Amino acid sequence: MAEVFFRLAKSPLAMFGLAFILLLVFVAIFADVLAPYPFQKQNLMHSFETPSASFLLGTDEFGRDILSRLIYGARVSLQVGFIAVGIALVVGGMLGALSGYYGGWIDNAIMRVMDVLLSIPQTLLAIAIAAALGPGLFNLMIAVGISAVPTYARIVRGSVLSIRGMEFIEAAKAVGSSDTRIILRHIIPNSMAPIIVQSTLGVASAILNAAGLSFIGLGIQPPYPEWGAMLSGGRQYIRDYPHLTLYPGLAIMLTILALNFLGDGLRDALDPKLKR
Amino acid sequence: MKGTKGILFLGALVLALLCLTTAASAKDTLVVADQYDATTMDPIAHNDVPSSRACYSIYDTLIFLDGEGKVHPGLAEKWEFLSGTAYKFYLRKGVKFHNGEELKAEDVRYSIMRATTDLGAPITTYSQNVKDVEVVDDYTVIVHLKKEDYSFFSSLAHSWGSILNKKYTEEAGQGFGMNPVGTGPFRFVEWQKNNRYVLERFNDYWGPKVRFERLEVRAIPEPTNRTIELETGGVDIAYPIVHNDLKRVAENPDLVLYRKPQTSVTYVGFNMTKEPFTDKKVRHAIYAALDVVGIQAASYRGVGKVPNSLVPEAIKYSIDSEVPVHVQNQKEAEKLLKEAGVKGLKLQLWTNERKERVDSATIIQAQLQEVGIESEIKVLEWGAYLSGLQEKTHDMFILGWVSTVPDPNFAIAGLLESTSGSNYTFTKDAKIDEMLAEGRGVPDGDARAKIYKDLQLYINELRPMIYLHNDESIAGTRKNVKGFEPRSNEIHSFREVYFE
Amino acid sequence: MVKYIVRRVLFLIPVLVGVAFCVFTLLYLTPGDPAKMVLGDLATESAIRDFREKEGLDKPFLVQFGNYLYKAVTQGDIGRSYVTKRPVMTEIMATFPATLKLATFAIVIAIVLGLPCGILSAIKQYSAFDTVTMILAMIGLSMPVFWLGLLLILLFSVYLRWLPSSGFDTFKAMILPSLALSAQSVSMITRMTRSSMLEVIRADYIRTARSKGQKESVVIWVHALHNALIPVVTLCGLQFGSLLAGAILTESIFAVPGVGRLMVESIKARDYPVVQGGVLFVAAAFSVVNLLVDLLYAYIDPRIKAQYR
Repeated sequence: MAEVFFRLAKSPLAMFGLAFILLLVFVAIFADVLAPYPFQKQNLMHSFETPSASFLLGTDEFGRDILSRLIYGARVSLQVGFIAVGIALVVGGMLGALSGYYGGWIDNAIMRVMDVLLSIPQTLLAIAIAAALGPGLFNLMIAVGISAVPTYARIVRGSVLSIRGMEFIEAAKAVGSSDTRIILRHIIPNSMAPIIVQSTLGVASAILNAAGLSFIGLGIQPPYPEWGAMLSGGRQYIRDYPHLTLYPGLAIMLTILALNFLGDGLRDALDPKLKR
Repeated sequence: MKGTKGILFLGALVLALLCLTTAASAKDTLVVADQYDATTMDPIAHNDVPSSRACYSIYDTLIFLDGEGKVHPGLAEKWEFLSGTAYKFYLRKGVKFHNGEELKAEDVRYSIMRATTDLGAPITTYSQNVKDVEVVDDYTVIVHLKKEDYSFFSSLAHSWGSILNKKYTEEAGQGFGMNPVGTGPFRFVEWQKNNRYVLERFNDYWGPKVRFERLEVRAIPEPTNRTIELETGGVDIAYPIVHNDLKRVAENPDLVLYRKPQTSVTYVGFNMTKEPFTDKKVRHAIYAALDVVGIQAASYRGVGKVPNSLVPEAIKYSIDSEVPVHVQNQKEAEKLLKEAGVKGLKLQLWTNERKERVDSATIIQAQLQEVGIESEIKVLEWGAYLSGLQEKTHDMFILGWVSTVPDPNFAIAGLLESTSGSNYTFTKDAKIDEMLAEGRGVPDGDARAKIYKDLQLYINELRPMIYLHNDESIAGTRKNVKGFEPRSNEIHSFREVYFE
Repeated sequence: MVKYIVRRVLFLIPVLVGVAFCVFTLLYLTPGDPAKMVLGDLATESAIRDFREKEGLDKPFLVQFGNYLYKAVTQGDIGRSYVTKRPVMTEIMATFPATLKLATFAIVIAIVLGLPCGILSAIKQYSAFDTVTMILAMIGLSMPVFWLGLLLILLFSVYLRWLPSSGFDTFKAMILPSLALSAQSVSMITRMTRSSMLEVIRADYIRTARSKGQKESVVIWVHALHNALIPVVTLCGLQFGSLLAGAILTESIFAVPGVGRLMVESIKARDYPVVQGGVLFVAAAFSVVNLLVDLLYAYIDPRIKAQYR
């Protein structure tokens, strides 16, 4: 573990990514303390203000402080990103592990279902699920999460397959460990590397996906600030007040960028073969 | 060397293509940017404004209404009211359909009776009272109604009253809505869904011929894109123009901005079947808590105004200008809530995705909180919204209503008559039903005026809804486009447009 | 080889049946009654009943699905649009050309930009060019397409006035949407080309070629590139497939009348036959492109050919 971190620390981009994500997590947790104003606080006399001392990033069409909304938006976006990936990981990981470990008809059945889901483009699948469930934060997480399940199922299955035949698994079987125990204690920990990398990148694509859904109106409810929804709400004013869309756009981009840097760095750190 | 030549040649080709595409849009084509595409061009299979606009170019109706609501002869040269339930129409002779057939009385009978079948389900409000259409001879018909209804006649100018060619329509069957034939000044050329439809001048038109060759209507949902296209000359007419682009269009020397009050109302409805909104005091308390003028101003920013009555000012017998403007009164709101015995009220406010409505909901939420009412906003996509409303589980909701036919009956009945399918407040009030029936049975005049004025006051007192906004039809055109004026019912006409 | 293709094509059938079932289930769960959406809120009870009966919406879920499948398999009939009353296939075919054009343009841009950048980056590893390219590629990957779209409109349509922001009928109007859509692919192709080149350059046979005294440019352009391109070609194919399917946001920002927008509009209008047919079509196109990519892969890489028998 320490070795991995050491290798990770050698990449400045990955460290930048990690620092940015940690900062974001900090901001999200302490949003109530950090935000200068409540996110829903309207001040119609001060709408569309450009950045100033009292409103550091200006105000939106209701005179709400954009900085405060971005700060609370970090909470929403990170929640969506991590929980959606969590859902995908738990469901997909379990299916993948079962599939890879048992093989045979179980493998066949599960993977055919995953093939079906994989052949529907992820955005379209997420839109269809979001439309079926209705709007809201929780439904958004489910829609984004479920649409990512097959990706994780495949990855976990792949790494389980590569581990299954190894000697220490055979040994565990020989001493009479139960299947559940083998899966939980041996197989999953040993297939962590690709999963960690994929999850980091997956959080990025989940945040992007959620922002996209919010952008076309299938996301979360006002007055809660979600970056994609802020972007969508400000686009009508893009010619007069570009700061309404500039900051949420930047926030999304930087977050995704940070996660991608971190994911790349992790891949290199966890897989020393690639780095020479 | 050879390679360079090839690249040069390719470059020239691209340039030539670019020039060609610009040259093709020379000034015999009128390009219009609409917000949404039509859903169908079958005049009775829809009840939405973009489709009605398309129909208005392709078809004619028996009578026409001008921008001021005055009746003019259309396919009928003249008419007689035989009784309260029988209208006789004398048809114009020699009128040609786009397929070359001549207009006969049988076509009129076919068109109107077709609207009373299930094909016409979306427009039953208008057609439900038709009993029969009697063909007297090839150029005379009598429309018989089931009961007296003085709002019916002017509804014949609505696109539902478009006259179709019986032979063609029957042959076309299900494909009719995508490949229409009418008698109108434009004939159908092509339609690419969600993008644009193209019509061309019909040279055998019976009336004044259109002064340009082609009409191209493009669907551009993004307001910013519509305005940019207008500014750069990509389109000649664009609507609607949103509030933050008003100044830009008005101050641009190449463009002209047109504004006209609309016969529409946006309202916040209460679910009249659900506690505690069954209590009139609660409804009035919520009304008192809201600064509707401020909400309207902040959400619509200089477009339209706050209505004082359900019947928009542009419709006859409206009392809009006689009722004082509402003033927010939080003390009154708290007092009324106390009297009603309601404490710690929590409610849901529903709306669809239209930006201004979401904006209004967001401000309403903040203002209700100031009198201790907690509200949760639910933004629903249109299909889920309507089906949610039909389930009667909502508390309060924001919705709009357009009176395409300028008669007070249509402004009220669709929203508040107990039998109406679009009565989402689920108001069931015997007095309203009674007065609506009475109003329909009386010819225009002082007696009819009094009924509708009393009814409007009664509705304000009952307060099943809070009026938020009377919209405006706002359009922008290039300066060289003449003869265009937006209509208050949004069925804009291109029949008189020409280029200077 | 033929046997392999046949097997893969046959394998598509259960996948598509599965897709149809998925979509059916989702639409069944979606709130909103199509009859009321199509006929409007003024429709009479009897009209709604007739509509539901005619479209089979009154039947139990599995019966509806069975009927759909039966008609699709035996008659190739996937229904008519509730709204336009045209066959679903006609609706899809009316929008598919726009999507195909958009995806083709985007992939061409991606290859034209991505390949040379990737190759140069690899040759000059750790140079300033390499660093800048890699960071730009990362930014391209991280850019939400709807934000990039807005920025492009702001720059090229509003400020510079060079290009129109909507419409898809002229060459000029296609530039901005294609650019916005291609950003992700450009980045991916650049990164893939670079890493694949790097791997090949270090390989033994390249060292052999070098040691035989061949010119460096020959080594790079002939030996290395040929082998490095194999995974890149695959990636291009996969990207093309996902561009075909994933243009929904781009299409709605630039008002492109493509399949993606048709899907979103049809979901909103509860035009179920079009949604079902559309998703099925997209899934089929996606799978066919992937199959072609696999075949191409086998064709250009003789090592793999042996496996496909």
